[in-house]
Amino acid sequence: MAAGASGQGQRLALTAGVLGIIVIFSLLPMLRLLQEVVLPKGAFSLAAIRAGLGDPTAWVAARNSVIVGVGGTALAVTLGAFVAILVTMTDIRGTQILILCFVTPLMIAPQVTALAWLQVAGPSSPLLHLLGIAPPIGTPNPLYSPGGIVLLLGIQYAPLVFLILRAGLRKLPRELVEAAQATGARPLRVIFTIVLPLMTPSIVGAAALAFVSCVGNFGIPAFLGIPANYLVLPTLIFQRLAGGGPAVLSDVAYLSVLIGLIAMAGIVLQDRFAKRRDFRIATTSLGVEPYRLGRWRILATAGMWGLIVVILVLPMVGLILTSLVHGYGIRLSMETVTLDNYRFVLWDYAAARRAFANSLMLATTAAVFAVIVAIPLGYVMAWGKSGWIRWLNFAVELPYALPGVVLSIAALLMFLKPIPLTGIQIYNTVWIILFAYLARFLVLAVRPTVNSYAQLDRALEEAAEIAGAGLFTRLRTIVAPLVAPAAMAGGLLIFMTALSELTVSALLWSSGSETIGVIIFAFEQGGDSKYAAALSAVVVAITFALMLSVNLFARHLPDGVLPWRD
Amino acid sequence: MIDTVLKKSPAIAGAFVLAMGMATAAFADKLVLYTSQPEKDAAATVAAFGEKYPGTEVEVFRSGTSDLLGKLAAEFSAGSPQPDVLLIADAVSMEGLKADDRLMAYPEAKTDGFDPNAIDKDHYYFGSKLITTGIAYNTGAAKKPEHWADLTGADYKNLVVMPSPLYSGAAAFLLAGFAEREDLGWDYFKALNANGLTAVRGNGAVLKSVASGEKAYGILVDFMAMNAEKDGSPIAFVFPSEGVPAVTEPVAIMATAKNVEGAKHFVDFILSDDGQKLALKQGYLPAKASVGRPDWLPEGTKIKVMDISVPAVVKTVDADKKTFADMFGG
Repeated sequence: MAAGASGQGQRLALTAGVLGIIVIFSLLPMLRLLQEVVLPKGAFSLAAIRAGLGDPTAWVAARNSVIVGVGGTALAVTLGAFVAILVTMTDIRGTQILILCFVTPLMIAPQVTALAWLQVAGPSSPLLHLLGIAPPIGTPNPLYSPGGIVLLLGIQYAPLVFLILRAGLRKLPRELVEAAQATGARPLRVIFTIVLPLMTPSIVGAAALAFVSCVGNFGIPAFLGIPANYLVLPTLIFQRLAGGGPAVLSDVAYLSVLIGLIAMAGIVLQDRFAKRRDFRIATTSLGVEPYRLGRWRILATAGMWGLIVVILVLPMVGLILTSLVHGYGIRLSMETVTLDNYRFVLWDYAAARRAFANSLMLATTAAVFAVIVAIPLGYVMAWGKSGWIRWLNFAVELPYALPGVVLSIAALLMFLKPIPLTGIQIYNTVWIILFAYLARFLVLAVRPTVNSYAQLDRALEEAAEIAGAGLFTRLRTIVAPLVAPAAMAGGLLIFMTALSELTVSALLWSSGSETIGVIIFAFEQGGDSKYAAALSAVVVAITFALMLSVNLFARHLPDGVLPWRD
Repeated sequence: MIDTVLKKSPAIAGAFVLAMGMATAAFADKLVLYTSQPEKDAAATVAAFGEKYPGTEVEVFRSGTSDLLGKLAAEFSAGSPQPDVLLIADAVSMEGLKADDRLMAYPEAKTDGFDPNAIDKDHYYFGSKLITTGIAYNTGAAKKPEHWADLTGADYKNLVVMPSPLYSGAAAFLLAGFAEREDLGWDYFKALNANGLTAVRGNGAVLKSVASGEKAYGILVDFMAMNAEKDGSPIAFVFPSEGVPAVTEPVAIMATAKNVEGAKHFVDFILSDDGQKLALKQGYLPAKASVGRPDWLPEGTKIKVMDISVPAVVKTVDADKKTFADMFGG
């Protein structure tokens, strides 16, 4: 269809298409949100901000957000950095499988992590009963506390820090470390005086990312904080909206801007810090020779496996034990074991079946859309030369970088009334969730695609151009096949993330458009942990199966697109 | 654009037409239900209704009664109440809605054999069950409570949990009823507060807390405790000797219902023998005595129900909730 169009026309069409997508999925929602806060009903007003500033509950929630955000980040950075150094710089055994296990919590939805951990602690823990060390009746579950939230946020996002640091460590110049070793520096001294200082940009960048993830997280504070009446901004927004409906949208719009500002503060701090000193590494060289642990090797390997047991195996065992009994406080035995909970959530319960259909549809559509869009978008972003490309990058990152509640509130504001000119109403349908997913997850496919473009030799495309192929033909026949693996790996990440997503759908769902995440949350809130646990176990099994099956053809993918593989 | 796609692929065209058809079918007979029933019970009620009236698709929104009323109030002020039919915990909430002209009368509803106290005399709402609130305790607990006042004792310090009246309709009824009584009154709640009582979001959360042993004693609706006990959870239930407050879980049609026919069918179903038997099967005490009694209530046992006047509670309940919120912190 494009054969007759001039090259100039096609280039224009591509740019217009890319811009159109960015405007619809990134700029419009954010502008609509800002408008609600400072320009409600078309006139400039600070009333919403003033009302928000005078709301003590909002201040308490904001303070709590910062507390668990900083605490969770500190733990994630400590744990992630420790494991990254141990796994990358020593000859510890079984690196691949250790990485796979350590990164898995990142792939599991936060609310599932929270639910699983709740089953481990507390007086009814089947696990503690099995071991005979359950605390006495009347002991509250210690995880229903700020400390519990910090612990789980730290475990959830330690892999994020780990991945960034590991990438940095592998580029560490060998000369510097060898120079230090030659002067007789012992390993710990090398790590503290050479490695960590050189890694500062990676650590600060990872910390900023972890901070944004922690303050934006909904699942963990929803499961651990709401029962203890310890609210953070995302859970406060959820409670207000659940109780007040669309009438309170203006109030929560202010709250969502507030959480956006807190997240941005983390990024700005990081930027400031990174600019203060020059951390550029001058040489490119081979990676550092791993330290030989010698007789410590067995101990270190055992220690790492102990850590994996604590952060991954124990909670999953707790989850499965709970899913196998009829109710709270029942000890698992040959007489009490049952698969009824699985039967109920998979077959008997209509809303759960609907949720599976909805989540599968949403995750698939979001993934396919992102893969298809990422290829032309990446083309413009990686190979385009215009000055506005930096802004394009920023606009694509924005809906994902900001906490999920921000985008959700923006989507609600946009679609509460029917879409102008068409009269189509997507509020209270599954399509509003789809819109938010498309906007939020797009960047997960764009990032690896842009990286893949950067690794490509452009000569192939230029050859086709000389041979007279139009832009769209080149995109379809030359470029797309080359970058498709990276885009599809990104699409897979989107699918896994969207399948059990909760933050966005908790605010946007309506009856008939439930997602798996919403159903798990509803079961837990209604006091039915056994069903929540069974459904969560199914989701975790799907995630594991996907990770392992993708591993089978990982050889065909470019480096670094699968987070759990080197 | 769509045109060219359709021409290119008959399969896509087919799917497109099918999708449009399904979308229209879905709008044909949709019934929106707001209910406070537990997730599983609500699903079973809807499924049984669907068997009797196939072709009506029921959309359910579930939350605590007080929470639902908040959502409804917001929808009223926005001018777009969503539900066609309500099935919520107590008559007090229904009285409030009735006074604001939010409900539609259904004079033809068949109420023969129902407890007359459960049925609104103007036929705006119809009680479907009798749900009492008593005290549940973990079987590993040190004491076996017999009186409401026991919960304020030293042996119970920091071990008692109750559903927040700001979330649960049954708890709001208990609060307003107790506050009026000479023997309990606000002093009772002050004593509970001093004794470290925790208020949580709904009866489901109380059940979880008591059955899992995080708290030893809980103020809880009867059927939840009884069903959990039957499932094997370490929990038992007592009716305190002073009597128990009882709510009726009424069903009502909204004045703004879009699907009035479907809503009437839903009320018919809840009041039918099938509907009442379903409630019985779910472990409730049905409002129509002739269908039978749940296993946990043998023939001849009498529950002493407190005499709490619904019109009196209607007047005070909002102020009572606010006092409670100030006392226990929301």
